[in-house]
This record gives sequence, structure tokens and C-alpha cells, in this order.
Amino acid sequence: MNSIGPLTLLTALPIAGAVLVLILKRAQKLSRAVAIVIAVAALLATLVLWARFDSAAPGMQFQEVHTWAPSVGLTYHVGVDGLGILLLVLSAVVVLMSLAASWRNASHGPVYFALVLLLEAGLFGTFTALNFLHWFIFWELTLLPAFFLVRLWGGPQRGRASVQFFFYTMVGSVALLLAFLALYLATGTYDFTTLAQMAQNGGLAAALQQNLHWGGWSGGHIALILFWAVFLGFAVKTPVVPFHGWLPDTYSEASSETTMLLTGAMSKMGIFGFLRILLPIFPAQMQEMLTPLLWLAVASIVLPAFAAWRQKDLKRTFAYSSVNHLGYCVLGVCVAAKLTGVDPSLAIEKSAALTGVLLQIFSHGLTAAALFWFVALLERRSGGLRGLEDFGGLRKIVPVFCGLMGIAIFASLGLPGLNGFPAEFLIFKGAFPLAGWAATAALLGLLLTAVFLLGILQKVFFGPLGKGQLETKTDTNSSSLPAAMRDLSTTERFALAPAIALMFVLGLYPQLIAGKMAGTVTQWTTPATSATEAYKTTAPKHNAARLEAASGAWLIHRKAQAGKAQVAD
Amino acid sequence: MNGSMTVLRILPEIIFTLTGVAIMLIDPVMPKQASRKPLGWLAAFGALAALIASLYQYSLPVGTAYFGVVQTDAFSVFFHVLISGIILVSALVVLDAVHPDTESLGELFALMSFGAVGMLLMTSGVELLLVFIGLEISSISTYILAGFRRKTAKSPESALKYFLLGSFATAFFLYGIALTYGATGTTRITDIAAGLATSHALPIAVVGLAFIVIGLAFKVSAAPFHLWTPDVYEGAPSPIVGLMSTAPKAAAFAVLLRIAYEAFPQLQNHWMPLLWILAAVSMTIGNLGALRQKNVKRMLAYSSIAHAGYLLVAFTVLSTDGVAAASFYAVAYAVMNVGIFAVISHAGGYEDRLTLIEDYKGLAYRSPLLGGVMAFFLLSLIGIPFTGGFFGKFYVFAAAIHSGMIWLAIIGLLNSGIAVFYYLRVLTATYTKPMDSSPVLNVPRVSAPLCLAMALTVAVTLVLGIIPGRVLSMARHAAETFPVFSTQQTPVPGTASAVMAAINTKAR
Amino acid sequence: MQSHPYTWNYLPLLIQVVVAAGLGLAIVGLSWLIGRGRASKAKLDAYECGVPVEGDARGRFSVRFYMVAMLFILFDVEAVFMLPWAVIYRHLPVLTGSRMFGFWEMVVYLGFVVVGIFYVWKKGILDWTNDRGDL
Repeated sequence: MNSIGPLTLLTALPIAGAVLVLILKRAQKLSRAVAIVIAVAALLATLVLWARFDSAAPGMQFQEVHTWAPSVGLTYHVGVDGLGILLLVLSAVVVLMSLAASWRNASHGPVYFALVLLLEAGLFGTFTALNFLHWFIFWELTLLPAFFLVRLWGGPQRGRASVQFFFYTMVGSVALLLAFLALYLATGTYDFTTLAQMAQNGGLAAALQQNLHWGGWSGGHIALILFWAVFLGFAVKTPVVPFHGWLPDTYSEASSETTMLLTGAMSKMGIFGFLRILLPIFPAQMQEMLTPLLWLAVASIVLPAFAAWRQKDLKRTFAYSSVNHLGYCVLGVCVAAKLTGVDPSLAIEKSAALTGVLLQIFSHGLTAAALFWFVALLERRSGGLRGLEDFGGLRKIVPVFCGLMGIAIFASLGLPGLNGFPAEFLIFKGAFPLAGWAATAALLGLLLTAVFLLGILQKVFFGPLGKGQLETKTDTNSSSLPAAMRDLSTTERFALAPAIALMFVLGLYPQLIAGKMAGTVTQWTTPATSATEAYKTTAPKHNAARLEAASGAWLIHRKAQAGKAQVAD
Repeated sequence: MNGSMTVLRILPEIIFTLTGVAIMLIDPVMPKQASRKPLGWLAAFGALAALIASLYQYSLPVGTAYFGVVQTDAFSVFFHVLISGIILVSALVVLDAVHPDTESLGELFALMSFGAVGMLLMTSGVELLLVFIGLEISSISTYILAGFRRKTAKSPESALKYFLLGSFATAFFLYGIALTYGATGTTRITDIAAGLATSHALPIAVVGLAFIVIGLAFKVSAAPFHLWTPDVYEGAPSPIVGLMSTAPKAAAFAVLLRIAYEAFPQLQNHWMPLLWILAAVSMTIGNLGALRQKNVKRMLAYSSIAHAGYLLVAFTVLSTDGVAAASFYAVAYAVMNVGIFAVISHAGGYEDRLTLIEDYKGLAYRSPLLGGVMAFFLLSLIGIPFTGGFFGKFYVFAAAIHSGMIWLAIIGLLNSGIAVFYYLRVLTATYTKPMDSSPVLNVPRVSAPLCLAMALTVAVTLVLGIIPGRVLSMARHAAETFPVFSTQQTPVPGTASAVMAAINTKAR
Repeated sequence: MQSHPYTWNYLPLLIQVVVAAGLGLAIVGLSWLIGRGRASKAKLDAYECGVPVEGDARGRFSVRFYMVAMLFILFDVEAVFMLPWAVIYRHLPVLTGSRMFGFWEMVVYLGFVVVGIFYVWKKGILDWTNDRGDL
């Protein structure tokens, strides 16, 4: 495995693109076009990988291992499972959407485009890395372009917001690093897969017990401390509620195109961490801490929904709504953690929850990015206004805009037929039997989401004309504002159409994603010492069959997939 | 004794001496109005030659020369390479920052070369008296260099403070040597360990070691011996600060490592807690002090105190890992600090026109190159991946955790969190759109030597951040030269443990 | 004779101290005894080439005085280094294992001293009246 594999090339592509964009800096138009072409190419590349990804096989695919700095345990090890490939596609989609949204934004020069491409490279690196140090390097590296994107383009308070963003994330990262240094000391490896295996067969706790002598604590206690340290890192990034202080300011001060990236792609790094690191490496600790974790998850669902309701600013509303939606993911993960032993009756619920989490990752990325795109369009038309009170009755002036944004809002709200519904449905389906009280409490969040999103719909689209448009009419001598608000141009409609179409497709046919995730979810729900071996026995088939029966009509294709895999084996 | 081999063991020192002498000979005979820049190039080429000579020294077998006072081993050569490199870059930075008609510019370059001789002798000397002479040579050069802007009030003030506290520190160091001699009957670092085993005056040796540590702690500006640092860095010319915040410190750290691990391994239970406290206090005072600074040079002075603290964390580790991490960190820190002072001395000028953080507003818009390089080094100082700063900190804290220094590692990591704040403040200023009246508007054109200096430092920082394996293995190799690590598996009976037992019974 | 105390080694030193002190006392004493004391204002004043005994403590000196004093100390100390070298010169071939090593070492050393003198000279520091010096 010494040749350069597809995942390395995929990560290198945006970096090369960024360099090219900077070289062509003088020719503004050309460099932007190059950036878009690179983003499209990256998306196509991820789609090719998606197509070639064996949905039924468990474990990592497209793996690649090189030595890097062996003396510190740093290995270049990349590979993707269902989670990884899903996030690769999502990042490519969101980056392309963001670049497309920036196309007409004159203040976003070539440097902006180059930074976005660098961010994309960082995301690809993060989502493919399987060695902690290698992963951590990319995890930190995404912070840089993100910091500059917030710092250089955005609202008047962007300086403070960017420092806040950087600092919060750094603190989380420091905790992460510390925990993994301790893990490395105990186990001698940074490899996620190896660590997960050790966690499953009890080797991890034994190693901690044996090799770490911290003030007489037992291995279990040390593992718990490490778990909370790692949790802190992801909780800040996702964010989970008490650690979300950086988010509203950052999301609202960054330019909307940047916020698309932050919420669409970067927030998924936290969820990725939950699924790739926390759940496999610390399953026992998650179980032990399940009640506080569920409380945190419920808090991340309900409180931001309340906060969103009270906001007067569209961007802040959507920012809080983003925390709320990611709260469902955290809930799903925590619920899945409840069950680690073999218990077929609940394994179905667990796999429903996990499938829901995966769907929600993609669905929220798509919807949130789309929503902030609409905010960007609105801001540009109104000359920077984005307060809820500034608008009203938009439906009369810009009907197409309102129609499309309405679809996005309904998708975010979870209307059946759109992408939000199957994801949230599956999460709740898993959550109710496993943690009924948490799911019930989380329902309140669902309700509040509906309240504030419909509130936006009512205030902005219906009712009397607001200040945003009135000003554009009375204040005609101000050259910065357009004479009257324009509806979406043909280009913009074409740019938005695929995103909106995807919402419908995923809403009506979630199997598109769920099918690809089958192998991964089966692996997660099969807590055998060696997942590969377990898969070869008949148990998963049995499991898969039960799953289909339980998980509803949209999982109907799974049987065929699983059957195919069996034939292949 | 093979004569040619003897000379080769001090080849870089000889090259620096000859360079300095040549500058001293040429400078007075040049016409008074003539530009002194060629002398700077001469100094740079001298440093380059010394760098190559140092790299060549890797091929020499380990051994001593001149009656056993200098020793070339992987450890001393490692620091030879580092210090020669720092002098090379600093010469280039000085070339860029000063006006060609700055008075007595020739002396400045000569002093840099002579100071380098002292630093190199510090790292390769295994005889405490030679180390002391090296320390004095390097210190006296830097005292003068610090006061080089004679026309301003701040620079001589800085030189005087540096001189007074510095000579105080060297006095401590010398007294420590004397006490050690009294206790062990030798001043040869390699013999002290054996002398300690049979010594009847161990308490005196402990006091001597304490004095030596105090003297060197002054030199590396570890808190609480750091009080001179902000004032001196503020007053001294920026290109010189880049030099004196790195090279003499690296040399002093090398001496401290050699003395601690080669001469006094038996007393580790005495010096280890001492260094633990120094490390914790330095990191905390350095970072908290830096938070409140408005002047970039003062801020970096406090940051250098903090970095000395991180480096001392690695000292307390008592393993090959620790020494290797300390050596690696010395390289990473030196390169990024020299690099950032290269930018500051260009933007702020030799006369220190612009040293407030506010002055750096919009630097990136005025000169994208300078702004970018500055941002790069700030990020490296924060410890972002793909820069030397990341792996430097990583190795240090990894080594600390591996030896059970959990609390020190936690203090260190918390501190690196605090550090993010003040580095970002400068970074934010650099990328703030300038107001029309801001003074940074006229950044002078970036000259070729500065480009070279920045390219060198950026390249090395990137190499350290992306492929650190080679430098780390060199550092590890350097650490293995200490006999305490090679005999760690089979401790000689009757040395360390017996001595410790003796001390403990005496204490009771 | 064979059991005289260790301190007897210092007897020549003691004799030298006694002689030096005696000589000084003798000169001063004899001139006081033999000389005819005819006091005048100039003769009772502070010694002729010194500074006035009374005045402001913050009086200024030309920095040249310090320069010359410093140069004196420098070259003085450098000259002193030659003394131990001269004492053990005969033994150097045995000590160093090379016949001329000790000799060439001193030549190198003196070379550095000469470079120093050359530098000082060319910089005009020895030139008291000329303001060319880089002071």
C-alpha cells in the first residue's frame, strides 16, 4: 500500500486548486472560475468514490498507509467507511454551494476562494484520517482558513467573533490532544481502528490500568477523565449546549457564505468525532455517563430552539436553529451508546437511530447551507439588512425567492417529503424505546422549531411590507441600495435548483443515503470482538432482515444490498 | 593526539573567529563613507561556512580535544548547527534592517561572530571554566549589541540593565563552579558525576548546582529571573533581539542540559523539583505578562519567557525523550522567533519606529508578503499543525505526560491556551484594514537578504512541522550522548541510589 | 633545617615587603630630615598634576580617559597571560606532545593582540587630539 491512493489525491486537489487560484490572483474572474471548477471536480471525485464505495462491506475502504514520523506514532493512514464517504460528499456539496453563493459577492476576492478551497482540503483530510495525530493535524488546520474567513470578511464585530471562535476551539483541541497523549502512553497507538478494537475487547481499560499511574486512580476513572476531555473537544466543535458560546456571534458576524461552510460542513467535524472516536473508543464510558449526556443532548435541542425563537436577527435565528438540529445528532449518538451488548430486540432501534444520525448529518448540512445562502441573497438585495423586523410581505415582491426559501425552511422544520423528516423520524424512532424521557423532552424542541420557523415565514414572507423594502423604495437616492428588490435571477435559480431538488429527493428516497450506510451501521450495531468475522456469520443477515421490517419502507433496498454482499462473500 | 583532528573539533569556532578578525581588519581601513554592507555579507558567509563545518562535524567520531576541554558529540554538534544557522539568518536580517551608513556597523558584525564563538564553546565545552569563558564571550558581545542604538535613551538603558543583571548571573554561575570544585575536586563536567559519588561535601555540591542553575536561569530568562527581559528586548535593536532571544538561550539551555544530565544525574531529586517550579512559573508569568503588553517587542519578550518555560518542562522529564524534546523545541522556537523578528525589524525598522501592536494594523494589506510571514510565525508560536511550533509543543508535552508529569503538562497546555489570545491580537491587527493615517503605510521595500532570511526560517519551520522525523532523530541521537541514558538499564551500583541514600540519612 | 615550617617558604616575600616598606619610609623620612622646608602657597596646594581636591562630585571627564584606562587594562591583562606561558615553556613539548605547539599557540595569541592594537589604532582611539575617533 505504498502508492498514492484516491483519498490522498482527493485531499490534494483543493490544495492545488488554492495555489492555482492564488497564482491567477490578478485575473479575478478567471481565478474564481478556476475555484468553482476545482470545487465541481472535487464533488465529482467524491461522487465517483461514492459510486465505487461498497455499501455492504464493513470497515474502512480505499485505505492507504504511509510512514510519516514513526518515532511519535504518527502514521499517514486514510480510509473511509460510510460515515467518511458521506461527509466527503457533504463537504464537497457545501463548499460548492458556498462558492456559488460567493460568485456575485464582489468583496470576496481570489484570496477568499483560495481559503475556502484550503478549508475543503482540511475537511477532506479530517474526514479520511484514521490516525489520531494525522487527524488532529487536519482538524487544527481547518481552523486556520476558517479563522481567516471569519476575520477578513464579515460584520463589524468579526474581530472579536473570530478570536472567540479560535479560542474556544483551541481549548477543546487542547483537551483532545491531552487525552490522546495519555491514550498513546497507555496503548502505544494512535490508530482509531486499533483503539476501537481494544475498547471492544477490554484491552483499553486494562492498558490504562496497567500503564497510567495517576495519583492512584483506577483505569476506569482515568478512562472517564479521558472521555470527558475528548467529549469537550467535540462538544465545542459541534456544539453541545453549554459549550456553544462562540457560535451565535461567529455565525452572525461571519459573512453568510462563510457561515454556510461553518454550519454545513465544519460543525459536522464534531459529529464525526462523536461517531468515529467517542462511540467506538469510549463505549463503556458513554454508557456510564448516559444520563448526563442525554441531558446535554436534550439541552442542545430545547434551549437553542427557545433562543432562536427570541432572536430578532435572521442569521442568529438560523445559528441557534443549527445548534438545535445538531442536538438531534448528539441525541442519536447517545441513544446508540446505551446499547453495547448483543440485544437483538433493541439493536434495531439502535441502528435506526444511527441511520437517522447519518441522514441528519447530510440533511442538516444541505438545509442549513441553503438557508444561509438565502440569507446571503437577502442581505445583498437589502443592502445588509437581515433583521426579522426589517422585512415583511416579501411574497408579493419576490415570489420565486420566497417559494424556494420556504421549501428550505420546511425542510429544516422536518416536513414529510423533505429531507429533514426521515432523519429526525429515525432518530426519534430509535430514541423512544431506548431513552423515552429524553426523546419526549426533545419533542419540545421539535415543536419550538416549528414555532419559530413558521414565525419567520409569517413575518418575512407575509404581512405588510417591512423596512427593508420600504427603504429601498423611499430612499432612492442612496446608490448602495437597489431601486426595488429583485427576484432571483435565472442564474441564481439554476444555482439553487439542484440543492432544492436534492431536498426533495432525499425526502422521498432517503434510501439513497441509508442504503450506502448499511454496512457501516451494521458494523456499529454488531458489537463483536472482530466486526469483520461477525459479519461473515449469519447474525448480521438476521439483523439486517429485522432492521428492514422495522425501519420503514425507505429502507426496502437494504435487503438487496445485504443479499448482494452475502453473495460476494 | 591527531593534530588535524584536534583542529576539526573546533572548526566552526575557528571559522567564526577568523570571520570576526577579518571584519575587524577590513572595517578600519575602509573609507569612512563606504557602505559596510559587504562586511555583513562576509559575516553571513562566515556563518554559512561555520554551519557547513558544523554539519561536517557529524562525521567526526565522538571525542575530546585540547586536553579534554572541548568535546564534539551529537549533542554539541546539534547545537553548533542551530547556533550557526541563527547567526546566519540574523546577519541577513541586520543587513536588511540597518542603513548602510549606520555608525560602527562593522563592529556589529564582528561582535556577532565573536559572540557566536562564545556560544559554540558553551555547547561543546565539557570543562566548566571553558563554559564560563564561552558564556562571558557571548554575554559581553550581546551586552554591546543590545546598546547599539547609542543615540536613543532606551538602547543604552537596555544594555546597562542587561549588563548589570547579566554579570550578576555570571557571578552566580562562577560561584557555583567554585563550590562544585570544592565538593568534587574537579571542574570537568564528565568527571563531576564520579567526584560526587565519593564526595564528602555533598551539601556544598547541591548549593553549587543551585547557583549554576540560577546563573543559567537568568540567561534563559526563566521566571523568576526574567525581570530584565522585557526592558532589554524593548530597547535593543529588533534584529539583535531576534539573535539574542534565541542563540545565547539555546547555548545556555545546552549547558544546563549537559550539566544537569551529565554532571549531576545523581542529584536529580534535587534539581528536578527546582526546574519543575521554574517551568511552571515561567510559563504562567510569561503568558500572563504578555497578555497585557501593547508593545510587540515586550509581548514577544514575555512570550520568550513562556517558551523558556515550555522548554524547561522537557528538562524535568529525565529521559531521552525529554532531552530530545528540549533540543527539538530549542530549534523550533529559535527558528520561529528569529523569523518573526526578521519581519518586525523590517516593518519597525532598526530605529524601532513601529513597535506598538496598533502600528501593525493593516500590515498584511500594505505588504502581503510581510503580513503573511508574520501570520505564519504567529501561528507557529501558537502551535498550529504543519509548523515547527506544533511538533515542538507536542513532543514536550508528550514527553511530560509519558513520564507522569501530568500536572505540569496540564499547566503547560492551559498556558498555550492563554497564549492564543495575545498572538491572535497581533494577528488580528495585521489583518485589519488600515486607516489612511496609520503609520505603517510606508513599509520599505523588502530586500534580497530579508527575503532569503524569511525563506530560510519559513522553510525550516515547515520542515519541522511536516517531516519532523529527521530533526527529531538527530535530537534523540544528541540526547543519547549522555551516559546517564546509555547506562539507564544497568545502573552502576553505589552511585545514584547510594548517594541519594547518603543525602537522605544526612538530612535526617 | 629539614623540619622548618611550611611558612618559611614565604620568607623571601617577607624580606621583600620589609625592604620595600623600609625604602619608602627611608626616602620620605630622610627628605624630611635633610630637606629645608620652605613652604609656599603653591607647594602646600594639592599635588601639582592632580585634580582639585574640592569641587562638584559630578564633574565631567572626557570619555577618552575611560577608553585609555580600558585599553590599558586589556593589554595589560593580555601581557600577563604571557607570564605563565614563559614559566612552563620548557615543559610544553612534553605536555602537548608536540615540539612547537606551545610556541605557535603564543604566536597565534599575539596575533590576536596585534589585531586588537591595529583596530584600536586605525579607529583613531590612540590619537588623543584628533576627533576622528569613533567614541
